[in-house]
Amino acid sequence: MFNLIKMNLYRMVHAVSTWVLAIVAVFLAFLDFGIMKIMVDDPFKLFGSASSQMLGTTTITGRTTIAGFLISSDILIVLSIFVVIFANAEQKNGFDKNIIGITKMKWKHTVARWLSCVIGLTAIVAVSYGLYFGLSALFMNSFAMGSVAAYLKVLATVYFGLVAFSAIFFFFTTLFRSSVGGIVASLVMSLGVLSLLEKLLDFAVKKIFTSPKILPTDLLFDSAYINFDATSATTKACLIMAGISLAYIVLSVGGSALLQQKRDVK
Amino acid sequence: MEYLLETDNITKKYGNLTAVDHVTIKLQRGEIYGLIGRNGAGKTTLLKMLAGLAKPTEGTYTIFGESQKNTAKLRDRIGVLIESPGLFPNLSAFDNMKIKALTLGMNDDAFLRELLNDVGLSDVEKRKVKRFSMGMKQRLGIAMSLVGHPDLLLLDEPINGLDPQGIVEVRELIERLSKERNITILISSHILEELSKIATRYGIIHNGQLIDEFTHQELLKRCSERIEIRPSDPTRAVTVIEGMGITEFKVIDNSIIQIFERLDDSGDIVLELAKNNIKTLSVAVKNEALEDYYLSITGGAKA
Repeated sequence: MFNLIKMNLYRMVHAVSTWVLAIVAVFLAFLDFGIMKIMVDDPFKLFGSASSQMLGTTTITGRTTIAGFLISSDILIVLSIFVVIFANAEQKNGFDKNIIGITKMKWKHTVARWLSCVIGLTAIVAVSYGLYFGLSALFMNSFAMGSVAAYLKVLATVYFGLVAFSAIFFFFTTLFRSSVGGIVASLVMSLGVLSLLEKLLDFAVKKIFTSPKILPTDLLFDSAYINFDATSATTKACLIMAGISLAYIVLSVGGSALLQQKRDVK
Repeated sequence: MEYLLETDNITKKYGNLTAVDHVTIKLQRGEIYGLIGRNGAGKTTLLKMLAGLAKPTEGTYTIFGESQKNTAKLRDRIGVLIESPGLFPNLSAFDNMKIKALTLGMNDDAFLRELLNDVGLSDVEKRKVKRFSMGMKQRLGIAMSLVGHPDLLLLDEPINGLDPQGIVEVRELIERLSKERNITILISSHILEELSKIATRYGIIHNGQLIDEFTHQELLKRCSERIEIRPSDPTRAVTVIEGMGITEFKVIDNSIIQIFERLDDSGDIVLELAKNNIKTLSVAVKNEALEDYYLSITGGAKA
């Protein structure tokens, strides 16, 4: 397993796409910071006097930076493309034929590839979010860190959610054996299209049961993630989100590994 | 006799299609086994099963004396090149080799460079693979298959898509690997003539079934490989050829002489004719009979 991870990381570091996507993520950090800076510190430029008062009173906390950058569609799309390209490269180029037969358990290739994806994702997130957070802390007039403990708790939860997203993107790429299939699936999730459909499920459940305690969107990962309120999440909300993420990681990675183990190499 | 690789009625079905149908082959250590068949005959599927890339539907196989279930631990002793070489086009030749080596837990860059040198790619090790010609990619694919110091090589159509120069290069490389490293090689092709130049034993696969097996000597006997010479003076040429001690020959249409022995001595024969002031208008080692033979047993014989 260690050798497989080493191999995957070597491939990742030497792949142009990794660096291109890392640069895009850094660019997004600057862009998102710039937009937030204008919206919060200087709203006249963007909205005129009518809405400036409302926006101008916003205070940016550590947790707001998580909501503003990590729970946004743009970084999620970048990360999904990174995962899909990396997960599918071996199969797409036929390189898997050189190495799959070597390992006793084919599923180890899948798990090692996903773990390598997580390492890459962590590096991209650390650099881009680190930059976004740093810029916010240094240059936002209205920045106030707030509780560090609450910030770290939410950061860990959201990071775990991103790892779960990577597992789901990884699963779709493995299932379809195609970058296109994986990217379409991930875009549907990243852009909230799926969560719109899931809201219809909620609607149906509400019609059937007068006051349901749990709705489908409470348990379906993408809705739970998108609706996760990083600025005010309680410990209980964080634990529920982490639990849903863990379940999806286990299902997605387990499913991908099973597919790899059972399928012939094309 | 102990075989390095042995299949026992190995079969692969995809739905109603039987891609490989109860194939039994046996490879001895050090031999080059040529698996011949048309496109879609089942060659690639058979090699994929032996490479651990596909599971047999029926039957089993042993490699290095170990049964199929236990072959996983020996997989690093098998080098594979299945269909086109699987390479990352945006990485260099060396990086592609390195990735394979890391998978095997190897960290010997000098050995990788030695392999690239062996296949004639040491000068372009830093060049991205997408800028390689087909022949260079095939040679890199073979170099990659050698990364784990394999005892057995499974090469699927390694000369596919190569120009004549590329075919010669790959053929010489395979011969060298067999001689210098004593690697047992199972090589597939749909070009019988090319395999006949390197293989020591052959199997013909057709519609998933192994329909014939024979040695190189048997092939020569069956197919009457021959030197065909068109001399300026056939009558005098016959005298010269007899003077060289050659007895197995015949004259066709009083213009072409077919010689069935000393097939590697065509140069000497031409030289001897020249010494006797007989011009050689054309000379060739003819293999058409080889193809005719192949077509006849696969049901595609010429009328």
